Amino acid sequence: MSENSRMDENDNDKKEVSQEKMFTLKKWNAVAMWSWDVECDTCAICRVQVMDACLRCQAESKKDFYGKQDCVVVWGECNHSFHYCCMSLWVKQNNRCPLCQQEWSIQRMGK
Amino acid sequence: MITLAQRLKKQQEESSNGHNRISIRDRLLVKESQELAQLLPPNCTVEYENENDLSNFTLIIKPTEGYWENGIFKFSIYVTDEYNMVPPKVKCLTKLWHPNISETGEICLSLLRQHSMDGLGWSPTRRLKDVVWGLHALFTDLLNFEDPLNIEAADMYKHSKLEFQIKVEEYVKLFAKN
Repeated sequence: MSENSRMDENDNDKKEVSQEKMFTLKKWNAVAMWSWDVECDTCAICRVQVMDACLRCQAESKKDFYGKQDCVVVWGECNHSFHYCCMSLWVKQNNRCPLCQQEWSIQRMGK
Repeated sequence: MITLAQRLKKQQEESSNGHNRISIRDRLLVKESQELAQLLPPNCTVEYENENDLSNFTLIIKPTEGYWENGIFKFSIYVTDEYNMVPPKVKCLTKLWHPNISETGEICLSLLRQHSMDGLGWSPTRRLKDVVWGLHALFTDLLNFEDPLNIEAADMYKHSKLEFQIKVEEYVKLFAKN
């Protein structure tokens, strides 16, 4: 765009503003995105977000309504996180992290 | 897929009434079977006997290169209730001469091993598409003569590649054609 044409546009803008407002903003909705600040936010075992109840608890909570509170997250020494329910099933047959194959030991648990 | 969604919805309703629990396997299979259909190797097809049962299907591999070229090899894949804590059960339905597949259809593929101490065995992070790509690779990259299941086939290859190739082709003609 040349220098001249840009100046022309600016002039036009000024005219329109002084004459009549073309648009008025009556309402606006802000949309924000967020995610948990963790290295891996999806449980690699049941493929549900670790902060939500695991697939098993989701299926069962329909019956007894406490699935969600009881489904906690577990972090291993390797820093990988899973649902406690999912991981406790897996370590029964292989005490290794399914993501990095390191020996599994719990670093912390909670939400 | 529509009938499946309907079926799952029905199951969900039943379970909310306390009749039976939805299997975790079935929930995983809904996603995984779609993913599998999208990421199937080009010379492979999947056939479901019953479109309402995603846990039982046949994989058909038609190798386009290598010793088994132009053969049609069928594998039955059964995803058990304990999935994805255990690997699917896979059997080769087509008789073939292969160092890693026995003549009776047992398959030696590391990711199908339930208990393994290395990182190569089954892990719940694996999906059906990994199983299918693994089986597909048994005809190419994962073909392994060093750790054979069909020892006779591996020995034959070491002794004479030509003899091995002739036997493979003979089996393809006899068993792996339409």
